[in-house]
Amino acid sequence: MSVAMLLAVIGVLALTGFVLSRQRALASAGGNSRALHSLPNYYGWNGAIWVLVPALAGLSLWLIVQPMVVESRISADLPAALVADDSARALTMADVRRVAGGLDQAVAQGAMSEAKAREMSTGAVDVRAVLANVGVALGSNVSPEVLSAAQDYRAMTAWGAAARTILILVLAVAGLFWGVSRAQQDYRARIAVERVVLGILALASSIAVFTTFGIIWSMASETYDFFTKYPIQDFFFSLTWSPNFRGNSDLGMIPLLWGTLYISAVSLLVAVPIGLFTAIYLAEYASKPVRNWVKPLIEIIAGIPTVVFGIFALVTVGPALRDWFAEPLGLGNSGSSVMTAGIVIGILNVPFISSLSDDIINAVPQSLRDGSYGLGATKSETVRQVILPAALRGIVGAVLMAASRAIGETMIVVMGAGAAAQLSLNPFDALTTMTVKIVGQLTGDTDFASPETLVAFALGMTLFVITLGLNVFALYIVWKYKEQYE
Amino acid sequence: MKDMRMESRVDSTVNKIEARKVQVYYGATHAIKDVDVDIADRAVTAFIGPSGCGKSTFLRCLNRMNDTIAICRVEGQILLEGEDIYDRRVDPVQLRAKVGMVFQKPNPFPKSIYDNVAYGPRIHGLTRNKAELDQIVEDCLRKAALWNEVKDRLSAPGTGLSGGQQQRLCIARAIATQPEVLLMDEPCSALDPIATAQVEELIDELRHQFSVVIVTHSMQQAARVSQHTAFFHLGHLVEFGETGQIFTNPKDPRTESYITGRIG
Ligand SMILES: Nc1ncnc2c1ncn2[C@@H]1O[C@H](COP(=O)(O)OP(=O)(O)OP(=O)(O)O)[C@@H](O)[C@H]1O
Ligand SMILES: [Mg+2]
Repeated sequence: MSVAMLLAVIGVLALTGFVLSRQRALASAGGNSRALHSLPNYYGWNGAIWVLVPALAGLSLWLIVQPMVVESRISADLPAALVADDSARALTMADVRRVAGGLDQAVAQGAMSEAKAREMSTGAVDVRAVLANVGVALGSNVSPEVLSAAQDYRAMTAWGAAARTILILVLAVAGLFWGVSRAQQDYRARIAVERVVLGILALASSIAVFTTFGIIWSMASETYDFFTKYPIQDFFFSLTWSPNFRGNSDLGMIPLLWGTLYISAVSLLVAVPIGLFTAIYLAEYASKPVRNWVKPLIEIIAGIPTVVFGIFALVTVGPALRDWFAEPLGLGNSGSSVMTAGIVIGILNVPFISSLSDDIINAVPQSLRDGSYGLGATKSETVRQVILPAALRGIVGAVLMAASRAIGETMIVVMGAGAAAQLSLNPFDALTTMTVKIVGQLTGDTDFASPETLVAFALGMTLFVITLGLNVFALYIVWKYKEQYE
Repeated sequence: MKDMRMESRVDSTVNKIEARKVQVYYGATHAIKDVDVDIADRAVTAFIGPSGCGKSTFLRCLNRMNDTIAICRVEGQILLEGEDIYDRRVDPVQLRAKVGMVFQKPNPFPKSIYDNVAYGPRIHGLTRNKAELDQIVEDCLRKAALWNEVKDRLSAPGTGLSGGQQQRLCIARAIATQPEVLLMDEPCSALDPIATAQVEELIDELRHQFSVVIVTHSMQQAARVSQHTAFFHLGHLVEFGETGQIFTNPKDPRTESYITGRIG
């Protein structure tokens, strides 16, 4: 039975569980729903849950475990030469799966009998030609080992599917009986259902947490791999970045870190004053009609894809800065520059800072403003001395969020600042950042055993640590501020 | 209500503020209708009346705090020492430095106790050096009967005080600006009886320097601290006169029902 079919059967059984449990509970109370501990539908849901939870949990577990078991058994039977290391094993297993899939297709299209698919050997049949006939193209001739492994693979998978169907149906039916048997007048169905709801919610939130740990784990292990192949002190302290795919590269991250920090700093210098002043204007000075127009207009910026900003940097801002500032000042003639990327990323971040800060400033109680105005303070005195300190915490949060975005921005940097990894103070020089180089090292011909590729993970890990540090710093500021003002 | 002070002579007849035919609208709502009041200099004037009758609204007209409410419109004439405060040449910011305000809910700034009191003197440049500022802060905290409780923690946040202490801090903050008129909107509604007595004592003392206007829901308080009382009802000024007369011999039947507890 296919998985879709199985799901349909589980669904029908759950519906049956719902109806039966509800009826049984009502009957146990003599048809008087007020004599029940919970509302009748809770008994129904309880019945359905007893079918769904064990069956679905069993099914998903089976779907995860079965391929793992099958693959490990198959690869254990293959000759050692074909599974010498991880990448060879992966290649061979891909062949096995492809041949097995081809055989399935051949049987399904009637080009071959089931018995023939199971028994045939490479000596008697040209497997490659047969499979090509049913539309499965193979890169090379099929070796006898791979064919027999594919046949084993098919057998095990078929056996697994049958066992799966039986087990899941047993679970679902047992759940149905158990659930219905519990539908009695004073069974506390409402509380049982509540517990399941809690479980579902907790599961959903733990998925995000596990994903985070999973990402960290995979990054960390690849990073470790990198440091076994490349000296750690060279990565952190070498001042040159010049990867070379024939080996012997200089993979010092300092120029990239410098580019990242320089461009982010310029972007914050643009975004923080403009964003904050906009927020103050909108929240404290603007009349209602102005506010109703300006706020959505600014927020449109947040919806523009960053690649469009990249085009803006490439064709407008870059040349303008070059012609009006860099060349007249004798600071170079590059259209791609720290300034170009920094300014455009800054503009991208203005709506972030302004709309977050606007909300935060609006949340400052009116009574504080009244208190200040009542003492004869002007608007700007009130803003500077009462409102901003009271809103500081949220504003710091908004700024750090913008900083994280600036540090992680890639597209605008590629198009606005170029890809030259160098240590330069000149804001009109082309520079590049860690994110750009991560993309660069992972695209094109990649060999996951070479330090030139693995360095991407070390860079990613470093970025992660930087943003984490930024967040910890934000928490520290918030905590200090809290101590002072609460 | 056999309070000594109630009988005390009103020692001033100079008017600090004169309001004539004041109308206040919130959008289409007519909140204050045709109110004429004289606020005497160096005396305490109490505004009493049932909830929603417009006491706060009228009080906020006296220092143009209503300007901060977009839908609020004020008509009529309010003269402070003979000058119309709603005249276009008058700067509401300077007016509010002269006519200070204490709000119904304590609203200390999220700053230290010291900075709260020093806020007004700093923005108005009332002091020349730190020593003078220290002196003003201490004086004002003493007047507000808070000095002894906070003298060891002037740098602690003002928001960390209890509700009653916060209200006295707000009073200290208001008098530190050295206003000529002090408007107090139910200043004691968050205070316990002891703190209330202290604030009333303070008001009585302040009357020698400022003119004070106080909104209160307590008849006893109005009788204890004020020399003049104004009774508001549904946006009208029903009766205005010397406190002793209003409480012992009201002319309007509505005043009488209110002070004896029949409306409100
Ligand atoms: N900001 C506002 N917007 C609209 N209407 C308002 C506003 N403030 C007050 N009002 C209305 O004006 C009227 C007078 O309100 P006000 O606050 O002056 O009453 P009050 O006498 O101070 O009452 P309380 O004793 O409860 O404080 C009320 O009907 C109120 O609904
Ligand atoms: Mg009021």
